Amino acid sequence: MEQKEIKALVESVLAEAKRLEGYFIVRAQSRREWSMRLSNGRFERVSTGEDSGFGVQAFTEKGASGFATSDVLEEGIGRKLVEKALQLARRNEEIGSKPNRTIWEAPRVEEEVANSAQKGFEEVPLVKLEEMVMNLHARLRGAFPEGAWQSSYRQIEEVWCIGRSDGTLVSFVIPRAVLMHQGTVRNQGKAQSTLIHRSGMDATLLFEELEDHVLEKKAMDRAEFARAVCSAPQLPRGHYPLIIDYGLAKGLAHEAFGHAVESDHMNESVLGEKGKLRQGLRVARPGVDIIDGPLVGDWANQPFSANGLPRQTVTIVRNGLLEAGLGDIFSAEEAGMPITGAGRAESYGHIPLPRMSNIRLLVERMLPLTPGEHLMDEVKAVRETLLEHGELREGEKNLLLLGYRGGQVNPKTGDFVFQCDGIIDVAEPDLPIYQPSIFSGKILSALEAIRGGLGEGCYDAIGSCGKGGQSVASSGGSHRYLLMDADQQVSLGGEQA
Amino acid sequence: MKLIVQLEDLLHQFQRAPKREDLRLSAWRIVVHESEVVALGIKDNSPGSVYTPPSYRQGESGDVFLVWGDGTCSQAMVQLPFSRESEYWLKALEQWRQASYEDPDAVHIPAPESLPLVAVEDRAVQKIISGDDKILFEQVDRWLSDKPSKAKMQGSIQAAWGYRHVRTSTGLAVTYQQSQFVSWFSFDSLIGGGFAKRRLIQPMEQEELWAQTVNQYTWMQKDAPPVGPQTQVILAPSMTEDMLRQFVLPNFSGDRVIEGQGAFSKESFQEQKQVFHEELTLAIDPLRPLELGSYLVTPEGVPANQTILVQDGQLKTPFLKVKDAVRWGAKPTAVPQGTAGLYLKHGAEVPWVKALEGVEDGVLILSVLGLHTQDSVSGSYSLSAPHSLRIMKGQIVGKTDVKLTGNFFADLAASTTKTALSDLDTHPYLVLRTGVQSL
Repeated sequence: MEQKEIKALVESVLAEAKRLEGYFIVRAQSRREWSMRLSNGRFERVSTGEDSGFGVQAFTEKGASGFATSDVLEEGIGRKLVEKALQLARRNEEIGSKPNRTIWEAPRVEEEVANSAQKGFEEVPLVKLEEMVMNLHARLRGAFPEGAWQSSYRQIEEVWCIGRSDGTLVSFVIPRAVLMHQGTVRNQGKAQSTLIHRSGMDATLLFEELEDHVLEKKAMDRAEFARAVCSAPQLPRGHYPLIIDYGLAKGLAHEAFGHAVESDHMNESVLGEKGKLRQGLRVARPGVDIIDGPLVGDWANQPFSANGLPRQTVTIVRNGLLEAGLGDIFSAEEAGMPITGAGRAESYGHIPLPRMSNIRLLVERMLPLTPGEHLMDEVKAVRETLLEHGELREGEKNLLLLGYRGGQVNPKTGDFVFQCDGIIDVAEPDLPIYQPSIFSGKILSALEAIRGGLGEGCYDAIGSCGKGGQSVASSGGSHRYLLMDADQQVSLGGEQA
Repeated sequence: MKLIVQLEDLLHQFQRAPKREDLRLSAWRIVVHESEVVALGIKDNSPGSVYTPPSYRQGESGDVFLVWGDGTCSQAMVQLPFSRESEYWLKALEQWRQASYEDPDAVHIPAPESLPLVAVEDRAVQKIISGDDKILFEQVDRWLSDKPSKAKMQGSIQAAWGYRHVRTSTGLAVTYQQSQFVSWFSFDSLIGGGFAKRRLIQPMEQEELWAQTVNQYTWMQKDAPPVGPQTQVILAPSMTEDMLRQFVLPNFSGDRVIEGQGAFSKESFQEQKQVFHEELTLAIDPLRPLELGSYLVTPEGVPANQTILVQDGQLKTPFLKVKDAVRWGAKPTAVPQGTAGLYLKHGAEVPWVKALEGVEDGVLILSVLGLHTQDSVSGSYSLSAPHSLRIMKGQIVGKTDVKLTGNFFADLAASTTKTALSDLDTHPYLVLRTGVQSL
């Protein structure tokens, strides 16, 4: 469905809503997805799909809200949803829900952002996409036949329009695409898997991969590493100087700090006090910045919030001091932070929540690093750079954590855990490898332990944010690697008793 | 016109007399869900906050699987078309044709068989959907008035009801109603309880769940002595479920076993290799009345049946969808709905109250951080579990923070591992000897 058609629908529903008392936010979305998965040389699935619908959030004059959605995009349905949402809002008012009238204060916005994709959604026919992905998959299998490989490709186009009772009408298109290789390798009776990806806006990324085979090389390196991990020893539990890659750094910034400064979380955040952001709190050493904001062409790009406000770039931590949070229209003021247009939702059928977009962690003190063509070349370069700058902590393990497998944080207590694909001790010239082990501790201690960056910024670590049971694209990164001092509140490992 | 009717007409037409020969279908199947959902939530002690308002959701969507005249196949997600264009479905078919691919094992559409009688609908849930929703508002009100005074409460109640339609070109035409009721609450985002079945929660179940959660919250306020190397680890039912989701489900999925991407090889299943302790059985049972994992027929048209995955610790079969069954050379099996419908049982299972009495030195794990990050193929885990409950001499005595390290497959193979029956959950408590140390 086209941007124009969706806008016209939202406008007509809002026109109908004018006869009713209250305030309405109407969200319409049309989503197209083409996806395919290959396993060990054969297509397992090729799928096309469309999903579109309305979501209407209604507010009574007193500020009680109700929400109604349907996956049928039709004027008549839109009108019914307006009535249903208002009926639920009135019901909500009766039970003494906490009123929220901040939406009346939101500035009126009218804007349209066109599709920024280089190639239109259907520009490259599905048959051609299948051929390209099969070609890439077959090459990888040929290059690393010892692995069991799955390759998948998804391209998505989301057309959004958000309208409000005050005449706000914004619409935008989000294109995204990702190619992934997942490998399972076995060694000495043990199995390990590895997953890597390359993301972009559209099928251009397949043409680029066919040209430079960057992902294929990474996949082979990671599979080789996974094979070594199978037979690697476990690491004794301890507190070590660490070097984490930018995927893990994104995880740390997203899970540990980003969520803790979202305006709806201030009552339960380690970075909040009495429900307000602890602005000015020293959370890191001078020179450390954490920034969140959309980047055009990025996996998690979104120019407007799902409440129709422009998405701003926010410096959360500046020079080690907590400066700002990610505020949406409904809770920013209460949380003691400005509104930054942070409301995002998985789809028209979900209530928007304050969320991150692309979050990056940067350190003023940066050591140069030339990225290596192969993984272990780069690890050697990391060791040499650290040696050259006197940054290897002598007499102890200096552990490089590779690959981000996900993590979790309790924002109330500040406890975090992250998992990696494997660990290398760069203090030893022969670079011994260890089994992956949880990287855990207290988020403020972890941030305080960051002492420098290694290499230029890499912000294309992608994922999916599961806050509130929704699934929303997220991304971010840091320098190619971050250096962290050993800290008693941050540990790695845990041997079986 | 309903989506299911539009799709049936379309696919019948293109099977019998297609407008274009290249769009001729040789076989197909359709699954469509029509659903209505009402929900209400609590955020930070506030009912119906701006982030958790009363909500209503209506949906009508599904999936089609098509086998073309030349033997290739296509899959697509479908919903009611926005466009009133008469050629809408023809264009959709053209796109599906373009997406066709060769997968000879997938093209088999099972012949219809008689379906079991399984209760999957509670009329009381339908009443909520049709407007009699007082129960949701009253429940939220009761939670908030009964909660521990200092606790910050979050929660949600959701009722869903609708139709499920399954059609195949081989003659299966099933439509049935199904319902779902899900509620959960938590205190300070640390301790929580939940219920999810195809029926309303009974007052007695609600009371028990509430009392258990409030007790756990109370114990959590008191520090307990640290664990030692001999401390027994007990996974609460929700933790057992999480471990099964992370380590067991993916490794019993037929496609992963066949492709060599699971923890167990195809040969291990064929040889019925002993992988768990001989007292352990693992099964999928979609026939239990009103359980969340129960159904009448799979989306592929396979009638619900019980499937034993592991018996007496020996591998029997992975769960097999139609395509995997063809490749395996067996009949399709039952399929779990996530972890719902998956049942783990020890031959010497005892009720939890009795099991607890026998724990001299233990720790009850209610939740862990980062389980989803663990490698499901290796089965190894290294997890932190802050806010666990310490057990001494058969009594819960307070809170402790621990780190767990071990291998879930080794746990399930150990003679020291037992299960204990939960009154509130279909998943058992799991009593283990594994690596545990203070956090």
